[in-house]
Amino acid sequence: GTQIRSIKDEYLVPMGIMQNRVKAVIGKHGLEDASAEVSSLVCHAVHERLKNLLEKLAVVAQQRSDLLIKT
Amino acid sequence: KTNQGSGDQTTQLLSRPRLQELVREVDPTVQLDEEVEEMLLQLADDFIDTTLNAACSLAKHRHAPTVELKDVQLHLERQWNMWIPGFGNDELRP
Repeated sequence: GTQIRSIKDEYLVPMGIMQNRVKAVIGKHGLEDASAEVSSLVCHAVHERLKNLLEKLAVVAQQRSDLLIKT
Repeated sequence: KTNQGSGDQTTQLLSRPRLQELVREVDPTVQLDEEVEEMLLQLADDFIDTTLNAACSLAKHRHAPTVELKDVQLHLERQWNMWIPGFGNDELRP
């Protein structure tokens, strides 16, 4: 079917490295290899998580330097 | 540190230059200390490992032979309240 992707398909972690990690973890659990989409989803998720963290860090750092200026 | 993390796989998933690129995307004025960078790389690694391990447990719980998108999606939603669009069947969403 048609797929609409609203996120650009540019990965934060190279797909090859991610697929190796997925394979290793899945193998450790005694499961069969998963589809490439699983690796792709995890890539997007870690991107999202880091972006979120960085945004928060930027706000906190700004606030800290504002306080320094005031005192 | 528990044995659950990356353990024997020492390859770092996320590279420092790629992280710096992301930082510039988020806020070009932000500069990260080296220690902060190191921590973020570790955090990314841990996030990936925990997500994958949780997805495996969920797949095993439903007696499936392998991990499917829905296992990862369920963990991301429950743990992080995160929904990544464009995977699987978005129409199933309420």
